[in-house]
Amino acid sequence: MQTIPKTEMPSGALVLLILRVLRSGALHGYAIAQRIHVLSSEVLHVEEGSLYPALQKILLKGWVTADWGISETNRKVRFYRLTPAGRKQLEAERSEYDRVNEAIQSVLRTA
Amino acid sequence: MNELFRRLRYLLHRRRFDGELADDLAFHREMAARESGMPLGNALQLREQARDAWGWTWIDRFAQDLRYAARMLRKSPGFTLVAVLMLAIGIGVNVAAFGFFDLVFLRPLNVRDPATLLRFHRRAPRNYAFALPYPEMAFFREHSRTLSAVLALNTGKLAVEGEEKQIDANFVTANFFSELGATPRLGRLLDPARDAAPDAAPVVVLDQGFWQRHFGADPLVAGRTIRLNGKPATVIGVAGGEFSGLSLNQPALWAPLTQQPYFATGSRLLADFADNSVRMWGRLQPGLAPQAAEEELRSLAAELRKQHPAEVWEKESLPSDPAGYAKSAMIGNRSGTGSESQNELYPVFAMVASLGLLILAVACGNLGSLLLARGVAREREIAIRIAVGAGKSRLIRQLFTESLLLALLGSLAGLAVGWAVLRSLMVLSDVPAWLNTAPDWRVALFALGAGCASAILFGLTPAMQAARQRHRATAVRQVLVGAQVAASCVLLIVAGLLGRALNHALSSNPGFAYQQVIAIDPGLAQHGYSPARAKVYMDTLQERLRALPGVESVAMALSAPLGRRSEIAGVDVDGRVFRVQINRVDPPFFQTMKVPLLRGRNLVRGETHATVVSESFARAAWPGEDPLGKKSLVGEDDTVVGVAGSARLVKLEDSDSVEVYLPITTADLPSSSVLVRAAGAPEDLVRPVASTAKAVDPNTFPEVQLMKSGFRQKLRSAESSALAVSALGFVADLLACLGIVGVVAYAVSQRTREIGIRMALGARPAHILAVVLRQFSGPVAAGLLAGVGGAAALSGLLRRQLYGVSNLDPAAYAGAIGVFALTVVGAALWPARRALRVDPMRALRHE
Repeated sequence: MQTIPKTEMPSGALVLLILRVLRSGALHGYAIAQRIHVLSSEVLHVEEGSLYPALQKILLKGWVTADWGISETNRKVRFYRLTPAGRKQLEAERSEYDRVNEAIQSVLRTA
Repeated sequence: MNELFRRLRYLLHRRRFDGELADDLAFHREMAARESGMPLGNALQLREQARDAWGWTWIDRFAQDLRYAARMLRKSPGFTLVAVLMLAIGIGVNVAAFGFFDLVFLRPLNVRDPATLLRFHRRAPRNYAFALPYPEMAFFREHSRTLSAVLALNTGKLAVEGEEKQIDANFVTANFFSELGATPRLGRLLDPARDAAPDAAPVVVLDQGFWQRHFGADPLVAGRTIRLNGKPATVIGVAGGEFSGLSLNQPALWAPLTQQPYFATGSRLLADFADNSVRMWGRLQPGLAPQAAEEELRSLAAELRKQHPAEVWEKESLPSDPAGYAKSAMIGNRSGTGSESQNELYPVFAMVASLGLLILAVACGNLGSLLLARGVAREREIAIRIAVGAGKSRLIRQLFTESLLLALLGSLAGLAVGWAVLRSLMVLSDVPAWLNTAPDWRVALFALGAGCASAILFGLTPAMQAARQRHRATAVRQVLVGAQVAASCVLLIVAGLLGRALNHALSSNPGFAYQQVIAIDPGLAQHGYSPARAKVYMDTLQERLRALPGVESVAMALSAPLGRRSEIAGVDVDGRVFRVQINRVDPPFFQTMKVPLLRGRNLVRGETHATVVSESFARAAWPGEDPLGKKSLVGEDDTVVGVAGSARLVKLEDSDSVEVYLPITTADLPSSSVLVRAAGAPEDLVRPVASTAKAVDPNTFPEVQLMKSGFRQKLRSAESSALAVSALGFVADLLACLGIVGVVAYAVSQRTREIGIRMALGARPAHILAVVLRQFSGPVAAGLLAGVGGAAALSGLLRRQLYGVSNLDPAAYAGAIGVFALTVVGAALWPARRALRVDPMRALRHE
C-alpha cells in the first residue's frame, strides 16, 4: 500500500510538471493529472484543487492555450496546448530547477 | 497579448470562461468517478478556487456587498434618510466653501486661452501699483516682442440720462473683446480695425444687464445714439452675459480707451505719466514663459526711465500674475509704498474652511452614533452570519460597503446642497452673473472625497465593533458626543463674536462722527484738471458751500472717510508691521469729522513737514514716550505736531489700523474730495450741495453721497458674514442636540431594566435622571472646554475683522456657552424623561 502525498506540491513545481507533460502534445485536464501520476510511478497525485487553479494561472500567463476537442470518452472537452512562450518558460524553469536541485544535492552529499 | 490584457478579457467574458471551467471540472469528476468510483470535494468551491487565479474575485464580492447594502438601506428608509441628511448638511457646507475657493482660485475664467493671459503690475523696492499710467502701457505695447497682444482697462463713471447715479464704464483697448474671445449678444463688439484710433467715431458696447435694465432689452438698440456725460455716442452692440471682462465690478458699458478724453472733458489720461490707473494684461507669445515677458518689460522700463526719470521708478520691474482666474480680477487698482499688503482673502478662507470642517465633524459625529446604534440593533443578524461561517474581515468589508454606499448618496445630496447654498449666497451678494457657480469636476471630486473620508472615519469603527460583537460602544459614543459639543461650541462662539462686532460697529463711536457729513467727489483728475485749476475750483466750491444755510463746516481730504480711495504704508516698528492709513487733509478736517485733537496743535494751511498722528499710532510707534516733536516714520522728514483721537476712517473693521494725517498740498487737489458737515439733518442738504458743486464747472459730474450710506454699505458684508456664521452655528447646535437626543434615548432604552429595578427599590426621579445622564456629563464638559479653547485659537484669524471687539470678548463667549448649555440640557432631558415613566413591573417582565 503506497502512501499518497497529501501535502501540497509547491505550486512552482506543479507548473513545471504541467508544462513538461504538455510538451509532447495537447492534453485535457484529467489527462494531465493522470500523466503526472503515471510518469511519477504513482507517487505524485495531482488534486483538482491545485490542478485547475494552476492551469488558470498558466492560461493567464499565456504559456498554454485551450482549444475544444473530443475526449477518448467521446465528450467535448478543452485540450491544453503549449504555446511558444510556454516552451520558453519550460526551458527556463527547467534549467533553474536543475541548478537548484544540483545545489541541494551537492549540499546533501558533502555536508 | 500581455497578461493584463488577458486578465481584462477574463473580466469581460467572465460568464463564458466560468462555464468552460465548470465544464472542465465536471469532465474531470466524471473521469475520476469512472476510475475510482467516488467524486471528491465540493465542486462549487473548487471552481471558486480555480477562478481566484483570474484575480477578479473581489469584484464579485464587492458587487455582492453593494447589492446587499442597497437592500439593507432600502429596508430601513428612516435610518437612510437621516444618515444621508446628516451627510448632506455636513458635506454641503464644505462643498459650498470649496466651491467658492474653486471659483476664485482654481477655475479658469471664461476667456479664450486663459493660460497665456498675464496681468502685470508695477513694482519697485519702495513702491507698488497694480495699474500703470497709460503712456507706459502704450510704450510696452509698442515695443514688446514677448507679448502678442496687450490689453488695458480703465474704470470710470459716466452720467447718463434716466439714471440717478452715475454708471460704471470700463474704457478698454479695442482688442479687448477679440483677444478674450467674446461674442456679441447683439450687434458687434469693439473692433481694433475700426475703433482703435483716437479720432474714430465714439462708440460703446453695453453690458447685457444694463441693456435689460436701462433699455428694456430693446433688440434694436444697436445703432442708437445715447448721451454720456452729455456727449453723443453710438451703441454698437451688447456683450454676452457670460463675458467676464476681467473685472469683478460689472460695468454698465465698455468704450474704447482712446475715447476716454472725449467723454471726460479735459482728461489727460492718455498722456499723463503720473496717473496709475490703467490695468494691463499681456497675451504671451506661444511657447514663452512668463519670466521672459517680465524680463523684457523690466528692460523696457529701464529704457523708458531714461526719457521719464521722474515718473518711471528706479529699478522698476513688472511682475506678472496669471490673469485667467477670478482672483486676478479681484485685485483692482491698489497702489502704495513699502511692501505690498498680504492677500487678505487667505485668512478668511482659512476661517471658512475651519468652520465648514467643524460642521462636518458634528454631522459625522451624529452619523457615527447612528451607525453604532444600528450595529447594535443588527447584532442578531451579525451573529447568524458569523455562525454560518462569515470571516471577520469579510463582515467588516460588508458593513463598510454599506457606509460607502451611504457616503456616495450623501456626497450627491451634499453636492446639491452645496450648490444651492453657494448659488443663493452669490445672488444675495450680487456678484456678476458670469461667475459660474455650477459645480465642476474639482467640486464633484471634493464632495466625493469628503463623503468617503467621513464614511471611512465614521463607518469603520462601528463596523469593527459590530463585527467583533463587542457591546461596549459607550466609550466611542462619549468621544463622539464630546467632539460634537466642542465643534458646535466653536461655531456658536464665532457667531457670537461676529454678532458682537456688528453690534459694536453700529452702536459705538468709531472715533469720528459721520452721520451728518456729506462727501463730494468732483472727479477733477478725470477731467484733466491741473493742480492750479483744481485749487481755483476747490476754493470756489468751498466758499459757496460755506455760504449755504445749514452748513456747519467744510473740509477737504484726499481720501474721503469710508470712501473707496485709501493710501496705505507699511511701517516696521521693532519687527511688528503696522498698516498705516495715510490721509492728506486741510485744517478744518478734524472739526468737520469731529476727530478730537488730544495734544499739540492742528495742521496749519500751507505748511509742510508737519504731521498729526493718531493716538493709536503714537502708542504703537513710541510706547511710553512723548510723540510730539518726533520724526514721523511715514513721510520723508515730517515732525509730529499733534496727536488726534484714534479714528478708523477707512478700515472700520480693522482694530490694528492706525492713522497719520499730512497737510494736503495743491498737487493732491485734483483727486481730493470735499466734506460738508450739516448743522441739522444732512438729507435736506444733499440737493443744494449737489447743484452747487455742478454749478462750479458744468463739465464735471460730481458724486455726492451721504456718509451714512457709505457706512451702511461698509457694514453690509459684516452683516452677511455674521448672519451666515450664525446660521452655521445654529445648524451645528441643532445637529449636536439631535445627536444627544439620540444617544440619551438609546442609553435609556438600553437600561430600562436597570431603571425599573432602581425604581422598584425606591429611587427618586432626580436620582434616576442622574444615573442616565452621568455618563454624558463628562464628555459634554470636556467638549465645552475644548470648544472654548478652539474658538479662542481660531478667532485669532478674525481679529482684524471685528471692529475693535476683542476676539476673546467675554460677552460673546458667555452668550454662546449659555445658548449652547440651554439647548444641550433640553436635548438631554427630553429623552431622559422617558426613564422616569418606566413602569417597574413592565420593565422587569420585559425579555
